[in-house]
Amino acid sequence: MLSRLAKLPRDSRDTLFLLGVIAWLVLPQAPHLPVWCVAMAAGLLAWRALLALGSRPLPGSVWVVGLLVLAVAATFATHRTLLGRDAGVTLIVTLLALKTLEMRARRDIFVVFFLGFFTMLTNFFFSQSLLTAAAMLLGLLGLLTALVNAHMPVGKPSLAESARTAGWMALLGAPVMAVLFVLFPRFGPLWGMPGDAMAGRSGLSANMQVGSIASIVLDESIAMRVRFLGPAPAPGELYFRGPVLSTFDGREWRPVSPRLGSGTTALTGSSQLQVSGQPLRYEVTLEPSNRPWILVLDAAAKPPEAPGVDTIMTSELQWLASRPVTDLLRYQAESHTSFRHGPRSFAAVLPEYLQLPANRNPRTLALAQQLKSDAGLRTGGPEALVRAVLERLRTGGYGYTLDPGVYGAETADEFWFDRKEGFCEHIASAFVVLMRAMDIPARLVTGYQGGELNKVDGFWVVRQSDAHAWAEVWLQGQGWVRVDPTGAIAPERVGSLRRLQPPRNALASALGNMTPGLTVNLRAAWEAINNAWNQRILNYTQSRQLNLLKDIGFSSPSWEDLSHLLISVIVLVALGGAAWTLWDRRERDPWLRLLRRVRGRLAAAGVVLPAAAPPRQIAGAVTARFGAAGAPLADWLLQLEALRYARAPSTSLPLLQRDLRRLHWPEAPT
Amino acid sequence: MSSPVASATNAPDAPAAVPAAGQEHYFVLNPVAHARRQFRAWWQARLPLSDSITLTQRNVYILPTRPGFMMGATLLVLVIASINYQLNLGYLLTFLLAGCCVVGMHVCHATLRGLTMNLMAPDPQFAGTSACLRIALSNNRKSARYGIGLAVLDLDQDDRWAYTDVPALGSSTVQVAFKPGRRGLHRVPMLTAETRFPLGIFRVWTVWRPAAQVLVYPAPEAVPPPLPAGEPRAGGGATARVQATGEFEGVRAYRRGDPLKLVVWKKAAKSEELVSRDAQQAQRYELWLDFAQAGLQDTERRLSRLAAWVLQADRLGMDYGLRLPGQQIAPASGEAHKRRCLEALATC
Repeated sequence: MLSRLAKLPRDSRDTLFLLGVIAWLVLPQAPHLPVWCVAMAAGLLAWRALLALGSRPLPGSVWVVGLLVLAVAATFATHRTLLGRDAGVTLIVTLLALKTLEMRARRDIFVVFFLGFFTMLTNFFFSQSLLTAAAMLLGLLGLLTALVNAHMPVGKPSLAESARTAGWMALLGAPVMAVLFVLFPRFGPLWGMPGDAMAGRSGLSANMQVGSIASIVLDESIAMRVRFLGPAPAPGELYFRGPVLSTFDGREWRPVSPRLGSGTTALTGSSQLQVSGQPLRYEVTLEPSNRPWILVLDAAAKPPEAPGVDTIMTSELQWLASRPVTDLLRYQAESHTSFRHGPRSFAAVLPEYLQLPANRNPRTLALAQQLKSDAGLRTGGPEALVRAVLERLRTGGYGYTLDPGVYGAETADEFWFDRKEGFCEHIASAFVVLMRAMDIPARLVTGYQGGELNKVDGFWVVRQSDAHAWAEVWLQGQGWVRVDPTGAIAPERVGSLRRLQPPRNALASALGNMTPGLTVNLRAAWEAINNAWNQRILNYTQSRQLNLLKDIGFSSPSWEDLSHLLISVIVLVALGGAAWTLWDRRERDPWLRLLRRVRGRLAAAGVVLPAAAPPRQIAGAVTARFGAAGAPLADWLLQLEALRYARAPSTSLPLLQRDLRRLHWPEAPT
Repeated sequence: MSSPVASATNAPDAPAAVPAAGQEHYFVLNPVAHARRQFRAWWQARLPLSDSITLTQRNVYILPTRPGFMMGATLLVLVIASINYQLNLGYLLTFLLAGCCVVGMHVCHATLRGLTMNLMAPDPQFAGTSACLRIALSNNRKSARYGIGLAVLDLDQDDRWAYTDVPALGSSTVQVAFKPGRRGLHRVPMLTAETRFPLGIFRVWTVWRPAAQVLVYPAPEAVPPPLPAGEPRAGGGATARVQATGEFEGVRAYRRGDPLKLVVWKKAAKSEELVSRDAQQAQRYELWLDFAQAGLQDTERRLSRLAAWVLQADRLGMDYGLRLPGQQIAPASGEAHKRRCLEALATC
């Protein structure tokens, strides 16, 4: 196969190579493209490859124009626009594939080259992971190789040769990249972040349908990374607070009506928080979620310090950013694990947290009535009721499972009486319904619980699979109190962080069985690398750039300083280049330099010789001009000649240099 | 050491920068182009004349090509996209590409810088045929130089390039052709070398004014009339001299068509080759190619006819003399004689 490829005529070989590179660029984003676009691109590339293999002529322009019109129409039909990110990506990929049908001269490669770069960039809309970066680096080298190859017009140069040149260029270009990356001033989006920038990411959502977290839990992707600046709290206290859901229609939980999230109540929200004890300081690197949620540990009294982002707290203790988190966001926060929140005595807002859908979950309501009327519990008040329900969960044969089956309409009834097993959301949802039925204000809190310490770099990694739902109940005199009913059923889910493992594929389980530690360690190492990538590269923002300047010694750095620094570096490099040019112009062969010196002195004495005159000719001229007085110089010149050409010269260059200094320079005969 | 040879033809007439007719008119219509041509002519006249040139920073020029500007636009769009979508990986890609472009610029310049070009002395040519210039490129660097194009500099036409690679520490030869317009001694036209290796976003070139001259013979007439009749030998003693010596002076290699009686059988017996007596020695009449008797009015066409006759006489192996206004070349034969005659025709 390879030998057959090597035997192809040059144009066919070059075309096939370029087609391969294009396929490599398009492949990673195929899942994000419309199906017709992927099919069309694959078809076009395959068609072009067949033409190249057979060295057959390209189709006429009617074909190309027809396909172009078709592609534009299909793009419009799919996206309802030709502008914006998604339509643009679809168009660029189609154009790139179509252009290969027009690739006649080697110069046409330029258009493919430029389109290839846009395609490469569009990959980053969907993923900026290390893996994507590596794949695109390979693609870039491929494109450069094709371009270099196109500029070697003679014969049939080997692609390996072109690849080597391309590799060298990339390697030597890397310092330029590094300097520009560090010093190029970072701005915010020029005309606002397009709304479609973050479509299609999984994670917590604003509404929770009972059963939806179970789909997230199979998602091993990382939600956030946390580094504690000081001692880490116990794993059981790692509750990262996300959306608080308070209205329930029987199947779906939603946040409270917007008026409670408005500005005035936001202020009362923070005033209702009292913290005590030593705060925990930590730094969070939040993966993009396209949501404004800033996840912090319960409870943060001070706004998280996020660069370029204003944060506010809702009345439900959730922190919100001024804009959706569309790229990696790093912030520092301070949390207290001991705190009081909410009104101490019954307040006007609390009835919101007692509402239940009408005519739903009759058995749960009956259970609530039964518990409330229990004489032993009535004296203990709400706390005793909560304890009783938790006790029921612990001892009532309830189980924790990832695969509870599909719940019907009466989710709470089904949990409490029929299935008796479920995932955190079923448990928490059923718990809150029961609490409300007993006239205890309760709400559902979603977020992440726990995390995994990467021992390689000391970061806690919180995954989508750590998504969790728990409950908060309002107690007279205490305010809102966190209750995690899941902990009652499966303490290990909360306490020691042993999660239910999603089913693993055969290879991973085989590996895991043979060397249990290996997969864990490999994963830890890989994630540490990934984290370093995120921290250093993806999270290199304006504030970090300015911090860097501060470290260098600028007192109050601004982007003007950055520009000055960048310009100084460019000027310095240019000066270096000029110096090198001057140095390069010098004669570097010491032998020739010596000869030139002598020639210069002779010219000053009136003996002008051509630049190409060899020592013997100069010696002859010296003898002719000065006679016997020139004999030492002539002799020296002959030694110089012997040094270069004799089989075993009796002198050396330093010796000759010394002799020349001591030489009695002949006087011209008068 | 390989020496790939490429060639291209080029057909400039005289390097007339400005159309001869309506020059004023032209100047009025297109003053900028006129000024550019003037500047270029002045600048090119300043170039030193040399058959050998080593390219340095001083005689190698670099400018971005059109794809180079497109590349700049691409970089701009990429950086705007990176800013707008806050893609740090996009920045990395853009800057790496920019870095590659900077390196590419350097590599492009270094492809010509340090290269030595030698023009081999060109052979004389007939007017109207393409003259071939052989240029040896030598590389004293430890890496190869790729995609170097050479061409005759032509201001009015697109240059057509002969491309070559120069191996590491080696040399290669390129042939470029030009069509001399009229007879005479011409300076070899200005040559140019360029490269766009490796990325094609920069063009690096040099202009070189060789010192060598090429002699251009008149174009031989396509269908010349038969050779003129010979003239009796001066002094009328030709026959006597031949008879007096009793044998022919000259012998030469046997040519097909020689009469058998001219073969020197004695010599043929000693060696394996046939040798003929040089028949021309026996001629009683001398062949004179005379400018005055060439029969045409136009000087150039007369010279063309004489050139055709010279070639014809040489082909027939005859002795011939050439009479031109102001000079006369005594009858003789052979390659050197032919060259001498053609040279006289070229330069008279």
